[in-house]
Amino acid sequence: MMLRLGVETGTAEDLAQETMLNVWRKAHLYSAEKGAASTWIFTIARNLRIDHIRRQSSRPYVDLDDVEIESDAPLGSAVVEQSQIVARVAKALDVLPPEQREVVRLSFIMEMPQSEIAERTGIPLGTVKSRLRLAYDRLRPLLEDLH
Amino acid sequence: MTISFHPDIATLMSFSAGTLDEPYAVVISTHLAMCEACREQVKRTNLIGGALLSLEPATEMSAGSLDRFMSRLDDAEPVQPKQQSKPGVPAPLAAYLPDGIDAVHWKFSGPGVAIADLPTSRNASGRLMLLRVAGGRKVPEHSHGGQELTLILKGAYRDRFGVFAAGDIADHDEDVEHQPIAEPGEDCICLVAVDAKLSFRSRLVRTLQPLFGI
Repeated sequence: MMLRLGVETGTAEDLAQETMLNVWRKAHLYSAEKGAASTWIFTIARNLRIDHIRRQSSRPYVDLDDVEIESDAPLGSAVVEQSQIVARVAKALDVLPPEQREVVRLSFIMEMPQSEIAERTGIPLGTVKSRLRLAYDRLRPLLEDLH
Repeated sequence: MTISFHPDIATLMSFSAGTLDEPYAVVISTHLAMCEACREQVKRTNLIGGALLSLEPATEMSAGSLDRFMSRLDDAEPVQPKQQSKPGVPAPLAAYLPDGIDAVHWKFSGPGVAIADLPTSRNASGRLMLLRVAGGRKVPEHSHGGQELTLILKGAYRDRFGVFAAGDIADHDEDVEHQPIAEPGEDCICLVAVDAKLSFRSRLVRTLQPLFGI
C-alpha cells in the first residue's frame, strides 16, 4: 500500500515501519469488538500517510480512534468472527464488476481522490461517484453483518 | 440529536480511503463526532480498506529492515488516547478553533451574512470556513465550482431540499443550485468546505463577490 503512493521505496518502507511501530504502541487500545485487525492496521497506515503528506503542517489529521467518542451503539451482540467478515468482503470485492472494482481499488489502495480517478481513467466525476455507490451497495449485505 | 441529512456514501468511502482534501475531511470528521449512524457507516467503509489490503500482494522489504524495526521497537512507548475538547466545539474541530467559536473573527459578507476562514495545512487545495447567517436571512442563490460540504453546527436553514439543523450535512455537487434561508430565530452557524469560489447567480452579487471574499 505504501509503495503505491508514488513515493520512493525508502519512504514507503519508512512509512510501513512506522505503521508497524504504531500497531505495537497502540496495541493496548485495540479491541476485537471494534473491528478486524486488518481494518485497524489499514486505518493506522492511512493516517500516517496523511500526516506524511501534511508534514509541513502542525495540525494533524483528526484521528477519530484517538478521540474516543462515547458510543451508545450496541456492542456487536452477535459479533461474527471479524476475520471471517474480512475474508468474505475480500471475496466479494474480487467478484465486483471490473469497472466498480477498479474505482474502489484506485481509491483505497492507490489513494487517488475522486477527481484524480476521473482524470486518470477519463470517466466523468459523476460516474466515479456512482461506481463507488454501486460497489458499496453490492458489499452492503456483507458489511452490515458487522452487527 | 436527530440527524436527517448525511454525506453521500461515495464521500464516506473517500473519507475512509483517506483521499479527501483536508477541509472536506475536517467537515466529515466533525459530522462523525455528531452522528452515530455515520460512525457505524465508516466502520463498514474502513473494512473495505482492510479487505483490499489483505488482497494486495506482499512486497519484500530491503535487507536489514527487520533489524532496524526490532531496534526501534525497544524504544517504543505505548500511546495514550488523546483527549481534546473545547466547550461547544466538537472534538475534531477543536484544533482548527483553538479559542472556541466565540473568539472567531467574522468578516462581513453581505446583509446578515458573515464568514470566517479557518487555516488549513499548505497542501490543502480547498477552503474551510465558518458561515454565519442571521435568523431569517438569505444566503445568495449560488451554484458550486466543485463539491460543497456544509455541516450545521448551530441553528437551522431551509432550502429546496428541506430543513437542515445541527448535525445535518449537505453534500452537494457542482451542478446543484440552491438558496438557503436561515430559519427565524438564532443565527445559523455552518462549517463549510468548498474547493473553488462559490459562483453566485446575480450579476450584482457576482460583482460584489471579490469584495466580500466569498
